[in-house]
Amino acid sequence: MSDIVIKAENISKLYKLGTIGSGSLRRDMQLWWEDKILNKENPNKYITGGKKIDNNEIIWALKNIDFEIKQGEALGIIGHNGAGKSTLLKILSRIVKPTEGVIRGRGRVSSLLEVGTGFHAELTGRENIFVSGHILGMKKAEILKKFDEIVDFSGVEAFIDTPVKRYSSGMYVRLAFAVAAHLEPDILIIDEVLAVGDADFQKKCLGKMNDASTKSGRTVIFVSHNLQAVSNLCPKAIWLDKGSVRSRGTSKTVINDYLSTLQKKSWKKEFTDLKNAPGNDFIKVFSVELKPQFVESSSIIDIRTPLTIKFRFYNTSDNILLAAGIHLFTLSGECIFDVSNDSLLFEKGFIDGECNIPGNFLNNGSYYISIIFVEDSSKQLYYYEECLSFDVEDYRENMNWYGDWMGYVRPKFPVILKQSK
Amino acid sequence: MNKKVINPETLNWEWEIRPETSWWNINLKELYAYKDLILQLARKEFLGLYQQTLLGPFWALLQPLLTVLIYVLVFNNVIGISTGNVPPFLFNLIGITLWNLFSEVFLQTSKTFSLNAEIFSKVYFPRVVVAISTLWLQLLLFAVQLILLFATYLFLVLQGNLNFNIANILLIFPIIIITTGIGFGGGLIFSVLTAKYRDLSALINLLIRLLMFVCPIFYTMSMVPENMQWFVIINPLSSLFEYFRYAFLGTGTLNIFLLSYSTIFMITIVAFGIMLFNKMSDKLIDIL
Repeated sequence: MSDIVIKAENISKLYKLGTIGSGSLRRDMQLWWEDKILNKENPNKYITGGKKIDNNEIIWALKNIDFEIKQGEALGIIGHNGAGKSTLLKILSRIVKPTEGVIRGRGRVSSLLEVGTGFHAELTGRENIFVSGHILGMKKAEILKKFDEIVDFSGVEAFIDTPVKRYSSGMYVRLAFAVAAHLEPDILIIDEVLAVGDADFQKKCLGKMNDASTKSGRTVIFVSHNLQAVSNLCPKAIWLDKGSVRSRGTSKTVINDYLSTLQKKSWKKEFTDLKNAPGNDFIKVFSVELKPQFVESSSIIDIRTPLTIKFRFYNTSDNILLAAGIHLFTLSGECIFDVSNDSLLFEKGFIDGECNIPGNFLNNGSYYISIIFVEDSSKQLYYYEECLSFDVEDYRENMNWYGDWMGYVRPKFPVILKQSK
Repeated sequence: MNKKVINPETLNWEWEIRPETSWWNINLKELYAYKDLILQLARKEFLGLYQQTLLGPFWALLQPLLTVLIYVLVFNNVIGISTGNVPPFLFNLIGITLWNLFSEVFLQTSKTFSLNAEIFSKVYFPRVVVAISTLWLQLLLFAVQLILLFATYLFLVLQGNLNFNIANILLIFPIIIITTGIGFGGGLIFSVLTAKYRDLSALINLLIRLLMFVCPIFYTMSMVPENMQWFVIINPLSSLFEYFRYAFLGTGTLNIFLLSYSTIFMITIVAFGIMLFNKMSDKLIDIL
C-alpha cells in the first residue's frame, strides 16, 4: 500500500471552446456584477452536466480519470491526438489545475514536455545548461556535479562556449535533451521527446530512459506515439480515448486493444445487390476482404502476420479468358508488387479469388490494395482502385533498436556470417 | 481542539493537486528551494540584455546620463524651472534615478506572464519566482545608477557646493523600499491583467509616461499651485520623491502624513498584488 507514489482520483478537465473569457474587461466586470452582486443568471456560466448555453461550447478534455502508480513503475500513456494525453501530463506536472479531482503523491516530480525549455538563444551552451537545469528543477550543486557528463552526453564539447543560436538544430536538441536526461527526480514525466534527433541519438535517449526506470528505480510516466518504445520501456500502459480511460493493464494488451480497433476499420467491403456493387458491364465486385492469420494471441497485423485477400465478383460474359491481378501500394503510392493468375476460361457467374501474402514479408507501414481484371491478358476490363487499406505494425523482440526499419519489404532472408580462419 | 478524522492513507502524501487555489498560499519554504532558479533567471536576463552590444552594462549608466542632460536642457535652460542653489544636473539626476527604479520594476514585473508564457506552459515552478528574479535584476541595475548618483553627489560635496549630512542620507533606504514595493505590487497586478486583456499592455506604457509628469521629478511639490496641490498629494509616489531629494539636498516639503500614506499604500498594493498573482497564476495558463 505504501509504495504507491501517485494516486489520481476522478481527474476531470474542462475547456471552453472558441474565444476564452468574454474578451473584454467591461463585459467581464458586468458579468461579475450580475453574478455575484445581483445573483442574476449568467448566460455564459457553465452548468454541471455539460449543458450548452449561448455560443460558448465546452469540452471535457479529461473525464473521471483514476489511476495509481507504484514506486519504480513505468507507465505508458497512449491514445489518438486530442485524447487528453498532454492535458493529463500538464495536470500531473502542476502546470494546469484540474477542474475536478485530486492527485496525491510523494517525491520530487520533474516533467519534460518539450525539449529545450527555457533556453535562451543568445547565451552560450554552458550558460544554457545552467538555465535549463535550474528551470527543470535541478540545484546548482547538482548541475556542477553533472556538468561534464551532460556535455559529454550531448556531444557538443567543441561548441560549449558558442551562443546556441549558432547551433545546428540537431546540436541544439542534443544539448537540450542531455540536460533533461541528467535530471534525477523521483518521478519523471515525459511527453514525446523522442520525436527529435537522429536515429542514433534517439537510441541513446531511450537507453537513458530505460536506465532511469529499471536501474535507478525511478517512477516514469511516458506519453508517446512510438508504440514500440512504449511497449519496451513501460510494463504497464493506459489507453486514453476522448478523455476517458479506454483500457488499462500490461502494455502488450493495451497496445493490442488500441491497434486492433484502429486497424479493423477497412478490412472488409461487401455489397449485396448488383446496383450498388462497384464495377461495369463486364465485372461487378461483390466483396473484398482482408483476412489476417494472427500470430499467437495477438489481434493486430504486425510484420509476422500472413494475410489473405479474398474477393468475389460477378462475371457477365461467357467463355472469357480472365485474369485478376492484385496491386499493393504504399500510402505514398509506390507499387510494392503486382501479382496475378494465369488467364483461365470462365463462364458467366460468380467467381471467387484469393491471394496470400506471407508473414515476414512486408515492412511496417500503411498499405492499400487495388484489384485489376484483365481479359485475354491484355485488355483491362475493370480496375478497382484502393479497395482495401491496412496497417502493418512493427514487432521486435530482443532488440535495442527502436528507430525506423528501412525498406518497403522486410523479408527474413538469412544473412550468414562466418569467422574467417 | 477540533476533532479531525485522519485517514491513514492520506497521511504520508507529500503533495496534493486540487482544483482550487487559495488567495494566500505563498510557501516560503518552497520559494527558498528555488533560490538558485531566481538567481539564474536574473543572470540569464542580465547576460541576454547585453549580449552582442557595444557598451554592455554601461547602458545602465548611459540611459540616465542622457536623460538628465536632456532634462537639464529642456526644463531648466529652455523652460527655465529654477532649482535654487542646487546644480540642475544633480537635481534632475536624483529624481530620475528614483523614477527609473519605480518605472523599471513596474514595467518589467508587469511582463511576467506575457514574456514567459511559453515556459509557464511547459514546466512548473512557483510563478512568482520569475517576478522575484526580475525584481532582483532591476535592483542590481538600480544599484549601478545609485553609484552614479553618489559619485556626482560626492563630487559636488567635495567642491563645497553642498553640505553632507549622514543622517539624511540614511533616509534613502526606506524610500527605496517603499518605491520598489509600489512598483512591484503594481507590476504583479498588471501582469495578471495584461495576460488576460492584451490591450492593457499598451495602456501601461501610456500610463507610466503620464505618471512621470505628475510626480515631482523635475519640479518640487512647493512649485505646484495651491489649487492643483491635491493632484500631487493623492499620488502616493510624490512624497517619496520629496524625501529622496531631501536625503541628498536637505531641502523640500516634508510631510510625515504623506509618507505614512505612501507606506500604507505600498503594503496594501504588495499584499493585493501577491494574492491576485497567486490566485490567478494557475488559471492564466489555460488562456495564455
